[in-house]
Order: sequence, then C-alpha cells, then structure tokens
Amino acid sequence: MDEHRLLELCRHAVAAGERMGATAVEAQARSASNVGADIEQGQVSAVNRRASDNIAIRAFIGRRMGSAFTNIATRKAVEEALGLALSSARATTEDKDWVALPEPKVYPEIRGLWNEDLAAVEPAKVVEISGELMARAVEGEPGLIPALGGSEVAAYRSAFANSGGIAHAERGSVAFAGLGAIAKTEGGVTPMVFSYEVDRTLELDLDRVVSDLTESIRVCKRTAEGESGKSTVVMHPEAYGEILYYTLQQSIRGDNVARGKSKLEGKVGEKIASELVTIVDDGVNPRGAATFISDDEGVPRQRTPVIEGGVLRSFLWDSYWGNRMGKESTGNASRRMRQGLVELSPTNTVVEPRRREIGDIVSEMETGYLIRGVQGAHSSNPESGDFSVVGNPAMLIEGGELVGAVHGLMVSGNVYELLGQAVEVARTPITIQGLIGPEIVFEDVNVISRG
Amino acid sequence: MFDLLERAAERSRELGASYVELRGEEGFVEYLQMDDGRMNALTQRIERGVAIRALADGAWGFVSTGDLSSLGGAVEDACSMARAAARTRREPIELTEVEAHEDKVEVKVDRDPRHVPIEEKIGYMAKMTKVIRDYDPRVTAVTVRVRTASGRKYLVTSEGTRIQSDVMLVWGYPWVTGKEGDRLSAARHEEASTSQGWEYMESFATPEYMGSEVARRVKLQLEGAPARAGSFPCVLGPRVVGVLAHEALGHLAEADLTVSSAFNGKLGEVVSAPGVTMIDDGTLPGLVGNERYDDEGVPASRVELIKDSVLTELLTNREYAAKLGLRPTGNARAESYLHPPIIRMRATFFERGDHTDEELFEGIDFGYYCADMRGGQAQMNASFQVGIQEAYEIVDGEIGGPVTDLSISGIATDSLFKIEAVSREDFPFGAGRCGKGQEAFMSDGGPKIRFGKGGITFGGRA
Repeated sequence: MDEHRLLELCRHAVAAGERMGATAVEAQARSASNVGADIEQGQVSAVNRRASDNIAIRAFIGRRMGSAFTNIATRKAVEEALGLALSSARATTEDKDWVALPEPKVYPEIRGLWNEDLAAVEPAKVVEISGELMARAVEGEPGLIPALGGSEVAAYRSAFANSGGIAHAERGSVAFAGLGAIAKTEGGVTPMVFSYEVDRTLELDLDRVVSDLTESIRVCKRTAEGESGKSTVVMHPEAYGEILYYTLQQSIRGDNVARGKSKLEGKVGEKIASELVTIVDDGVNPRGAATFISDDEGVPRQRTPVIEGGVLRSFLWDSYWGNRMGKESTGNASRRMRQGLVELSPTNTVVEPRRREIGDIVSEMETGYLIRGVQGAHSSNPESGDFSVVGNPAMLIEGGELVGAVHGLMVSGNVYELLGQAVEVARTPITIQGLIGPEIVFEDVNVISRG
Repeated sequence: MFDLLERAAERSRELGASYVELRGEEGFVEYLQMDDGRMNALTQRIERGVAIRALADGAWGFVSTGDLSSLGGAVEDACSMARAAARTRREPIELTEVEAHEDKVEVKVDRDPRHVPIEEKIGYMAKMTKVIRDYDPRVTAVTVRVRTASGRKYLVTSEGTRIQSDVMLVWGYPWVTGKEGDRLSAARHEEASTSQGWEYMESFATPEYMGSEVARRVKLQLEGAPARAGSFPCVLGPRVVGVLAHEALGHLAEADLTVSSAFNGKLGEVVSAPGVTMIDDGTLPGLVGNERYDDEGVPASRVELIKDSVLTELLTNREYAAKLGLRPTGNARAESYLHPPIIRMRATFFERGDHTDEELFEGIDFGYYCADMRGGQAQMNASFQVGIQEAYEIVDGEIGGPVTDLSISGIATDSLFKIEAVSREDFPFGAGRCGKGQEAFMSDGGPKIRFGKGGITFGGRA
C-alpha cells in the first residue's frame, strides 16, 4: 500500500476515533516489503519475502490512554482497533502529567531516502549479491567459511496523523549485505567475524566487507595469549557501539533522566568524556540506516549534539517527556508498533572522526588489543553504566602488528570512565546499524585474561 | 483457517514443490507497561497471518503475509523464491523423512488471559509496583511489563500433516532502579508460563513474589562490593546454571550452529568432566517453550546433549537431520508467522549429580557464588558470557557478602572440564527468552554446580 493511501487510513482513524469519543487520537501506519537471500554454510539457502501492513493507534479520553494494533489495512479493521484502544482507555488510570499530542512543524528535506531500484528489486538480484559476497570472501582468504549472513532490500512507506493537525507521509528504502565468517584453527575455530554494508542504493561496497572479513579472519587464525591488567584497547564501532547502546544511550534518554534512572541527571554542560569525544544523535543523516523525516509521533527528526568535546550538551526527548520536563521534543520518539509502546530511542549515533587512520594508529602501538565485537553488552547495567563483556573477536597488538585472536578476553569498567579514557579517535567512519563512527582508542582499560 | 491453508497447499502440488508448509495463526495478543504507576502502554490486538515455506529445486522460499485472501499467490511466490535461491546451490537441501501427524493440541487453563478484565491486570501491576516501592526507600523507578497471548496456530504440510495447537502465554517482568547518593543500580526478574493462564500470575508469579525478588536484588546491588577480576573457584546456582547450559553448549549444539563451531566433529567425544549430563527436553510438561510438536510437525523429544561427559546428540530440524544423518529432534521453532522455523532449544538443563550442596562449598578459601543472571551470549569459538545480577563472595567455604553486578565467561570446550561437583538437590526451572534473530520462549535450569579455578573468568573491577 503506498504512503498516500496509508495517510488516508490514518486520517480516517483520527476522524473515526473522535466520532467514537476520543478527545485525542493518533495513528501511524507502516507498509514494508523486504526481500532477502539467506546465506548458510557457504550457499544461498533461502529467499524470503515479507510484506506487512501495520497500523498502530493511540486513543485518549481526557488523560487516559489506550492503544491498539492491527495488521489489516482496511477502514473496518482500523475502526475495530479503535474500539479496543478506547476500551483500554476507559479501563486504565489517568495520567495527570499528559499534556497533548504534538502539533505540526516543518519537516527537514532529506535526499536519497527512496530508490526506485530498491523498491523494484527482484529476488534474483539479492541472490546475486549474496552469491558474489560469498565467492569474493572465499577467494580472499584461504580456509574462510561463510557461515551465515545474506543480503536484503527493504522498502517502506509510512504515514502519521493525529488530532493535533499533523498529517505526514514518507517513504524510504535500504539495502544490506553482510557475512559472518569463521575459519578452522588447530584448536577449533576462529571467533565468528561479522561485517556488513548498509546503503540507500544497490551499490553496496562489497569490497570493503570482503577486505574487512578476510583481514580479520587472517589474524584470528592465529591464537595469542592475553594478559590481565590495564591495557590500551582499540575498539571497533561494533564493540563500543554495543556498550554505548546499553549504557550511555539509556542514560541520555529524557525519560530515564526524569525518572532518576540516569547518572547524567543534572550534568548538562559538564565534562563527562575525553575532549576528543564528540557524539551527535543525527536523525537526518542521509548515510544513516535509522534516518527518517519524522519520528513516530510526527515530530521532525533533527540533529542533536549529545557530547561536544567531552561536554554533555543535551538529552533526547519525545513529546510526552518534553512536555513534562519543559523541553522541546528532539524527534526521538520510537514506536513498537505491535506493543503500542512509544518510547525514546536514539537515531543514528555519529561519532565525529579525527585525524589519523586506524592502520597508522595500530602500527605505532607497542602493546594492546583491537576489539571488533563484544559478547554480553546487553547484560550491562544501564543505570550505573557498569559493563563487563567478552571482547570477541579480540586481537592482540604487539609491536604495531595484529598478532592473533585472544579467546575469552574480558573487558570490564564503567562507561563514563571509559569515555574519559579515550586517547584517540580514528579518521575513517564506518557505518553500522544505528552508528556511524571510526575506531576509538582507550587507555588504561581493565582487561581480564582467562586462566 | 485449515480450509484456507489446505487449498493453498493443494496449489503447491501443482507448482512442483517437493515440500510446502503453511503455518497459520490467529489470536489475541496484549502488551501492558506501567512506569512508576503510569500506564505507558496498554495494547490489545487481534492478529492473523500465514507463513508459507516451500522447498523447490533444493532451496527454500519463504513468504509471510497478513493477507489471507491471496494465499494461492503467496504459495506461488514462495515457490518462485525457492527457485531463485536454488539456481546457485551446489547441492540440494533435503529433508529427513518423518511421519505425518494429524492432531489437535489443547491447552486447558483456568483463566484465559483474554477474558481477564484489563482493570485486574492493571491492579496486578500496581500492586507489584507497591510491593517494590515498600521494600526499600532507595527504589527510585519501577517498570512492570506484562504480556499475554491466547490463540491458535495451524500447521498444514504437503505431506499430510495437519495440526491445530492452542497458543497461551502469560509473562511478567519488573525492572527496578535503586539509588543511594551517586550510586545507581538495577535488577530485573522474569517469569512466564505457556501452559497456564492468568491463574499462574495469581498462584506463582504473584506481585508479592515478583516484587520482592527484584527489590531484594536491587538492595543487594546497592550494598554489594565490586567483584575481583580473574579466575576463581565458584558455585553457580540453578538460574545461572540454566543460562550456562543455554549459552555454553546449548547454542553450539543447535546443529545449524554446531557445523560452524568449536564443537563441530566432536559427537561421541568427551566434552566435559566426568559425571556431567546435559539435556534439552521438549517433552517435560508445563515448561515454557515445550509443545507436543515443533513448527515442522515433528514430535518433541528428549535430547541427551551430553551423557556422562560425552557429546551424544545435537538439536536438529528436518534439514539438518538429513544433512548430518541425525534423528529429527523436534527443535524447529518460529517466533510467529513473520519468521521461518529455525533450530531452537526448549527446556535445557544439567542433570543432577551426587554431591550435597554443602560439599560444593567445602574447601573454597575464596571464590564466588552466583545466584542470578541477567542474560548471556554465545560465540562460535565456544566463548560464552553470562551477566550476573546476584552474587556473593565465598570465604572459607561459607557464603559471604554480596557483590555488584558483573559478568562471567569461559570457553566451553575448556570450562566444562573444570566442573568439580554437581549437586544432587532438586532445582527449579527458570523461564526466559532467547534471541537468535527471532524471539523464543524457553526454560533452563540445573542443580548447583562447582567449577574449579580456571573454569570461569570473572569480569569484575576490583
């Protein structure tokens, strides 16, 4: 269903909701079509197509809110969903802090979100991309086994309307190709190394993925011993991105600040990280996979500096918590469609790059570790910022060279201490899901070796 | 629903697919979230959809749709997808032969959650919030989440399988924050049932039990000392042992992962210390994740992953059973019609041993007792990680003071050999969720287990 028909459906939901007794209504509709080719054990195993229409509604009676969802994009189904939402609103408790739904604002213009080639992609094309990625990776490094991965093209259309006068529709598309690879070693297998590329066109940079994978697998085929203690650690954005997501990014959510769940409460304007660290929540970055024109409450996406030169500049807000705390929404409302939950979440986290290439940085290091990914970031403590993870793959650096993979190397600390220990930020940003940034070098990091 | 699915299956025969399965779902699903007493989400939905998976020319095509009016077209689409994939394959995917089943699986509950008034559910959450707030004045924030589902799923295959199964879920999850001065901490608790209705929340996962469990852990976190870093002798409690079973070997015993892992080729080999037995049992009644059939229509079974220290079996679906020459174990599960079935665990646990609990702690001058977890993760090189949210020092064989949260890790191919003793005491199963690209509800557990130094690494900070 195209975005104009979705918008028509959303407008119908608002009008019908008001007729049915709601004092405020919002409806969000999203139609998505994904085609993907799975890789399993060095071959394309399946082609998948998922098509879905999803409509989420929130209806208010005074300050009581109920929500509903339907995956049937008809007026009748929408009216049935409204009935459920209103019935929930009647049963629930009043939220004395609720003020109003957001009102219309000017949306940013972001070029390149929609690509006709992606929207019209045939299954054969995704099979071709997956096949090419595998073949080139296998050719690039002897013994490399493409264990899992694939390629996928997604086209989405979305619309939003509310009783405050917002009516917005947009569309976008995105392509992905990625591979998880291993190789056999004398004692078992390497850690799985995963690399991927996200783009708004079909011109996916498979060369970068292949070179990233083959270089890492080449190092990981050799095993090295780690040593417990304080060490210099270079983190790939996949590694620090996971840690930041489960710690810092929970603490900059306005709701968590307001609820006493953030260690950063009251620290705007204070130095919380090394002066080398600048982080922006950039919801309008054309390169970002999480870029949209509007957030999930119809509020324009924007670019919000979070940390500038180590100084905390802003938290992230949606309209509910913004209203409650006297702040403007930063366009960070995110809706879990099926659950009806509207919550604050980051968009694209952009870490500002600096001067030197990572190769030059590593070549000058006497000892340290390069950590490409982590296990267990999700078990971090978002409130305290404490984390305790396994670096995997973790590679030992000695004399400026990557010596081999260290199995079971743990890294523990507190994210705010870690951010203060950043001594260098590399030059070339890497785009991953939800983050655009280069490698960061941290010193005096607590690493724990096995045994 | 059966008629719709069967007509579509008929169409697949005309298209020459070697196998087609259609999984239909219809049901009531509900999500509620209360933040500090405020209802932040109260969503009810009726959802219907169909997943179609076709094996044609030796590759899979998968289509998921909520549009039940054009299933014939969706079947054609799935076959065409499969053929697009097949063109690149070196060898065709085959399925192990299984018996076709016709069955109707009912879940009898006292209180179907779809008929429990919303007000009662809100009352449950408000009461839990109060229990938590009343437990300790340092509690600063309380989020309570409740999910329920009540519906039916249908499986029709081109081989004649025709199974109708009831779907049931009640799930509760509080997340609590505590604060003292600049020190912040958090803990969570999770309970679920797929065999009981709302009565489970009234009899077992009560607001009092759930609330006091999570609040107790927040208090311990606020009062705990940082754990040391390094390897120490330790005793792991049932909730941690369960996650260890899941992460240390369970995932790598899923045949689709085994083939890329450090356990590949180790069937029949000793993989642990003597006396260790680890099971994935889909037949134990009442446990979360257990059903009579998997989503390929294969009856659930008991799988002895490790039997007396030997890697004995792997978890399979029909594809990997054929590929590896193993039996189909009934472990193909899909989160919903939006996903194809993949190999998942069900109820995974270590068997009881022959030591008393007291013997497990004897002789440990300094170590840790890990009582509760917060998630975990596995990697192909057998590296596992388990987040710990309740742990204590062991000093001179006795449980000492609490420590703040940390995580533990190891390399399963080494760590399992460092098991020194397994308790003979009975243990409860925990309910949880696992993410392998899709969410799956599962159970895990085990008796207390003691690891010697070198088995488990503690990612502490002291």
